[in-house]
Amino acid sequence: MDLEKYRRLFLEEVAEHLAELGRALAELEKDPADAEAIDAAFRMAHSIKGMAATLSYDGVVALAHCLEERMQRVRGAGCADSSADLPLLLRGLDALEALVAAVREGNPGARAAPELLEELAGEGPPVPEPDRLAAAPAPAVAEGPASGLAGATAPTAARTPRELLRPPPTVRVRTETLDRFLATVGEVILTSSQLRALSDSAGSGDAGTEVVEGFDRMERVVGELQRRALDLRTVPLLRVVEPLPRLARTLARDQGKRVRVELAGAELELDRSILDRLSDPLVHLVRNAVDHGLEPPEERRRCGKDEVGTIRVAARREREAIRIEVRDDGRGLDLASIRRRAAEAGLLHPDLAEDLPDDQVAELVFRPGLSTARRVSEISGRGVGMDAVRATLESLGGRVEISSRAGEGTAAVLVVPVTAAVQRVLLVGLGGEVVALPIGKVEQVVEVPAHAVERSGSERFVLLEDEPVPVLDLADSLRFAEAPPAGHALLVLAEVRGSRAALRVDRLVGQQEIFVKPVPELLSPLRALAGLTVLADGRPVFLVDPALVS
Amino acid sequence: MKVRVLVADDASFMREMIREIIEPEGFEVVGQASDGVEAVEAFERLRPDLVTMDIVMPRRSGIDAVQEIRSIDPTARVVMCSALGQETLVMEALAAGATDFVVKPFRPDAVLSTLRKVLEKDG
Repeated sequence: MDLEKYRRLFLEEVAEHLAELGRALAELEKDPADAEAIDAAFRMAHSIKGMAATLSYDGVVALAHCLEERMQRVRGAGCADSSADLPLLLRGLDALEALVAAVREGNPGARAAPELLEELAGEGPPVPEPDRLAAAPAPAVAEGPASGLAGATAPTAARTPRELLRPPPTVRVRTETLDRFLATVGEVILTSSQLRALSDSAGSGDAGTEVVEGFDRMERVVGELQRRALDLRTVPLLRVVEPLPRLARTLARDQGKRVRVELAGAELELDRSILDRLSDPLVHLVRNAVDHGLEPPEERRRCGKDEVGTIRVAARREREAIRIEVRDDGRGLDLASIRRRAAEAGLLHPDLAEDLPDDQVAELVFRPGLSTARRVSEISGRGVGMDAVRATLESLGGRVEISSRAGEGTAAVLVVPVTAAVQRVLLVGLGGEVVALPIGKVEQVVEVPAHAVERSGSERFVLLEDEPVPVLDLADSLRFAEAPPAGHALLVLAEVRGSRAALRVDRLVGQQEIFVKPVPELLSPLRALAGLTVLADGRPVFLVDPALVS
Repeated sequence: MKVRVLVADDASFMREMIREIIEPEGFEVVGQASDGVEAVEAFERLRPDLVTMDIVMPRRSGIDAVQEIRSIDPTARVVMCSALGQETLVMEALAAGATDFVVKPFRPDAVLSTLRKVLEKDG
């Protein structure tokens, strides 16, 4: 037997089982009598035990067995005891995850603490007849001792909801395989538009019309192929938000706080490459909410709040973006402290600190070097902070905002595009070069007489509707050769870190949908270059993210 | 002729393991099912010579599935796969029409000898 192969299969499958076990326990927290959740938790523990036994992972077997037994008793009682069973089951799940992680790291001999096993095996709900089904032939409701048996007594009633909830069959594909496939689809798109350009320039006779029609058809099919291919990369948000409730509870428990985490919109799907990178920022925001937002129970009681704090992680679709809000009902940001620290860190002139509006003070948390942490928590200790959250979001073509009300809580909003790979862009000329700007970031394009761009010290600005808008010379920012001065200035108005800026360009080339490739490693220090593509005529073009233009 | 087997287990890990144990020994896994409903559907479609059936599965238990399969084909041969400590459920399954059972964790020789015994019994 190829043990390594089974070890890998075990780790893959158990990861899914642990996630489902976690999901089931979370459901039980909401509704301790949720029969489907009780069933699922029992089944997962049972199945993990069986797999681990096959590979002689005795530590995993012992713990999974205790969890299974406990769930068996919960099932007998028809309801989990939220003060006795649930905390214990959650601890059991944590320990089981740790044991599986140990297997993954090559230490299959790890075992759970004997006290935990004893507690799981100890006093719980009264044990019912071990196999009630055998004793009672036809109970009116489906509450057999083994979940799987429910169908034996009341097949239709017990089956329907689960069938509805059950996801369609799936196939597992390695990301690498998928990406190679997507890259090839990208090549097909480029080749077809290159062919189209060739045929256009070759002129057309009668035969030309058919060629053009052929290209039209091919373009439609290729477009469809592209959309379907991109769908393959999407994964539900659930994958990254699912661990958050437990993370929050564990952190809160360690600090003597209590927290409830609500998830909404977790079924929304987005590109896997984006999703994977959202995990750290979300973990950071939830951790911040627990560490710095939520008050200890007695303080909350004094303020007339529920002792149990709430963190709500809610996602919704906004056109081509997903907006995820992490909101807590804690004490809010300590704006006075942020003002003081920003002044101390030299981020803000002390005289300005008092006058700066609250919302702008809140935004200062995203500046590197500002931490309001009262004590060093695990994450702040590693030097990862809100500045890293912002950097991550911006590198994904998204953004992050924060708002807060004293005594009422803090809300951080992450906005990310749904798909990373294809973007509609505005192509602009800078001297002899062409660069692409994401159309989503472009507000409008205006042409003004060259003298309307005024200088104030080293800054340049233009008055638009009586408002001064800073002007950035894109060629200059990207170190391209500047074009000779012309009689007019072409300005692309775009949002740069929350405020409006005008990017000066030489000419507009057109709009296009491009398949974005990552910037080669060699050029990665140039932050403003967000991607690379090849135009129909074969020219490489950089995608420039206005938010990162300095 | 190889013996055509349908393997029903909610863990693909277990299905893979059974396949690896039996395929070199003259059996062919012609279908796999990850729950009781799929198992019954696959049985109707494939009419295998033999079914290995996990007991604890989502949607529809192995025991329920055995009952249904035996009502479709009273000569169907179904071997239950059970974990230690599930003796009562095994009895239940045998009462529902299962032919025999093997206990997890699987010992390859035990699995093979049980399957062969079951084939002889009905053949």
